[in-house]
Amino acid sequence: MKRNMRGWLIWIPMIGALAIAPQVLGAFEITIVLGMAIFALFSISLNLLLSFAGLLSFGHAMFFAAGAYGTVFALEYIQGVPLLPAVLIGALSAAFLALALSPLLVRASGHTFAMLTMAFSQIMYAIVMKYSTITGGNDGISGFPIPALGIPGIGDIDMTMERNFYYAAITILGISAWVMWFFTRTPFGSIMISMRDNPERVAYLGFNVSISKAVVLVVSAWFAGVAGSVYALFQNMVSVDGVLGPMSSFTPLINCFIGGLGTFIGPVFGTGIGTMLTELMSAHPEQAQLVFSFVLILLVLFLPGGVMTLYWKVAAKWMVLQNRIQSAFLKGNHG
Amino acid sequence: MADSRKRQSSILEIDGLNHYFGERQVLFDIGLQIQEGTRHAIIGPNGAGKTTLFNTITGKFKPTGGAVLFKGKEVTGFKPDKLSRRGLGRSFQINSTFANLTTFQNLRMAILAKENIRFNFFRNLDKMHRITAETDAFLTRVGLMAERNQPANLLSYGKHRCLELSLAMAIDPDLVLLDEPAAGMSREETHQMVKLIRDLTRDKTVVIIEHDMDVVFSLADRITVLHHGEILATGSPEEIRTNQAVKSAYLGETEVGDVA
Amino acid sequence: MDSMTIMMITQGIHGLAYGMLLFLVASGFTLIFGMMGILNIAHASFFMLAAYVGFQVIQWSGSFWLALIVAPIVITVVGIVMERVMLRRLRKFKLGKAAVLFELMLTVGVMVCIEEAVKNLWGTDPQIVNVPALLGGLLRYQGMQYPIYRMFIIVLSCAILLLLGLVLYKTRLGNFVRAAVQDAEMTGALGVNVPLVFSFVFGLGTWLAGVAGVAAAPMLTVFPGLANQMMLDSFIVVALGGFGSLLGAFVISMLLGELTAFGIQFLPGYSTIILFGFMVLVLTFRPLGLFGERE
Repeated sequence: MKRNMRGWLIWIPMIGALAIAPQVLGAFEITIVLGMAIFALFSISLNLLLSFAGLLSFGHAMFFAAGAYGTVFALEYIQGVPLLPAVLIGALSAAFLALALSPLLVRASGHTFAMLTMAFSQIMYAIVMKYSTITGGNDGISGFPIPALGIPGIGDIDMTMERNFYYAAITILGISAWVMWFFTRTPFGSIMISMRDNPERVAYLGFNVSISKAVVLVVSAWFAGVAGSVYALFQNMVSVDGVLGPMSSFTPLINCFIGGLGTFIGPVFGTGIGTMLTELMSAHPEQAQLVFSFVLILLVLFLPGGVMTLYWKVAAKWMVLQNRIQSAFLKGNHG
Repeated sequence: MADSRKRQSSILEIDGLNHYFGERQVLFDIGLQIQEGTRHAIIGPNGAGKTTLFNTITGKFKPTGGAVLFKGKEVTGFKPDKLSRRGLGRSFQINSTFANLTTFQNLRMAILAKENIRFNFFRNLDKMHRITAETDAFLTRVGLMAERNQPANLLSYGKHRCLELSLAMAIDPDLVLLDEPAAGMSREETHQMVKLIRDLTRDKTVVIIEHDMDVVFSLADRITVLHHGEILATGSPEEIRTNQAVKSAYLGETEVGDVA
Repeated sequence: MDSMTIMMITQGIHGLAYGMLLFLVASGFTLIFGMMGILNIAHASFFMLAAYVGFQVIQWSGSFWLALIVAPIVITVVGIVMERVMLRRLRKFKLGKAAVLFELMLTVGVMVCIEEAVKNLWGTDPQIVNVPALLGGLLRYQGMQYPIYRMFIIVLSCAILLLLGLVLYKTRLGNFVRAAVQDAEMTGALGVNVPLVFSFVFGLGTWLAGVAGVAAAPMLTVFPGLANQMMLDSFIVVALGGFGSLLGAFVISMLLGELTAFGIQFLPGYSTIILFGFMVLVLTFRPLGLFGERE
């Protein structure tokens, strides 16, 4: 019960802040918040592999890209496709990509997994460039129509209006994050976490490690795809360097490390800190990445648990304080 | 020939099993029949191939040659998870638990396996009270309730060993292979362990590798002696104790004759 | 000779020159990985940084030869600092299995840091390093023309390769290094100061990358993206050649150099796909690489 309460203490202010953001912030700030939310979801999906399944991916951007291109192609080539099915097509493309690659990926772990995923994302980069007549290559595809969001009983909501799009996107991203959080709490989620610690024992208990790994991959890819899809809609464009460039896979990874491994919410904080750093440095954009990399190096060296460790330290102190107050109060009552 | 349960059918049959590590042969033509409901010990000096035998039976390695039959069906080279689902479990010589999970979470994995809950994405595991209750019951039974919320890597060696055995037993296997469950334990701990093994393996078939001859002779119905990858003898404890070949090969390394 | 033959030979030597450079970078990469289990993502960044430092030394002194000596030393110092100050600190945490993640991430951080630092110091525009006067011009032979400088790269790399071979296979230190690549723990138990050997190998690896960087500067233009291509190529070399295998690194570097040279001619756009496809197959079905021996 108490555990739940503490969970809500984080969630409620966050949801509230996101809900009132368009009322109090200007259009420019809103784009920052939305961009951050998109990359937070992307980072969470990567963190599902990293912290919960113990797999380090150097090519997670390929699923983000698959989501983005999937949605864009749907909007370009399917006449009158509604918004949600377009997002769904993006997520499905990413999930199918993961499913197709899983026979090769599930056998690997550690360095091999990292290098395999990197190789796949490079192949995807080359393919996208090769077929630039369809994908737009470096120039990308832009200016595709953003359909209205049709809700039965309410009607169509115009998605070209920034505020409407913000609410729709935040809802999609939020629900996705919640589903992933729930995923980690299910029986299957506990199998996933056990695989990180000791895959051999998981097998000896009777669970199929390969299939379980494939499921985690597909789930993670699906949500990376959702993030990519929303990203493409948000930018109203997709280009190969935007979604598959050299840093595309590393940035969410860095976010996870800054936020702290082993926690679900860590990547969100990491993305927030990353975004804030970029904004603080907006007067000197060319130095922003440099500072960012310094922060990463210092964190790995001095606070390997990430920023979340700080939270725990504060929380632990807070608990001690709370207990002291409580015991003092009890003593007072009895004495 | 004092085994009273000899008439029963064999649950595990190993026939002409050979295994090579590269060029080196480590198992030579192993033939074994494990009768249902018995406790069968495998003894032999270090490097005799006992753990390798377990590994080839349970599918960690695919044996180079030979056949393994479990419950009358050929299972040679089957993967561990498949064998486990058919009712063949094992424990490890070196503790192989989930180091960062608590004792409770460790054991809950085994209970999930036993309850056949695998690809369930729709329920919050912490709210599956039947699983929690069952796990807690098992924890109480094996005496780990006090350590319920400790991470496995912080357990004392004896408790960790107990968890290792519990993980193997909680999936409720029909046949379980125990790899030196009492390894590295004190006299007192060993005594506790033997009691626990007796309790947990009631009505089950057990194959146990053990160095401690007290444990072997107090638990086993039958004994197989493995030496340099070959079976030297199989028989009742009495037969093994008096077997001349075993004595000459084994004496000096462990004094079989002294144990009584 | 007909023009086709000339073109083939020219491309062949082009490939050889790039393959040799690649080997200089990849050999350090693979030695460090084989020995310390660290996949140093920043390794190719040292190559790029060396090209820039070399460029700067030439700007100041006007001497390519001075740059060829000074820049690799500067890079070696940076490398050794990274090993001693950062990676060693990380080892102290005893992170167990997760250590791999943190080490990889640290090297990612260093990679980004070097790239951004370079962008800040020298800008993103390509810098041109002139071929030293001594090596300018073309070599003419039976109607063929070939830049002398590329020949120089091949000769220089061969000389370094020879030197590397001598150090690794003929000296006591080399024995320690090869032993530690095979089994660092055992070597330590035998009384070898493994941390010192680690630093030596890390320094040697970065020095090799540094020499390659300066040597490459006149041949390839100097720009921040230099690291990216080199990183991907050395990944392929190490994955295919086998982690820790110098022979494998050499063979694959040569093949990759030639493939890059001829791939551009015959299969524009497909060579990356084929290469990474091949890398995927090898990683999946022969994770030790084509020449890897360790279990």
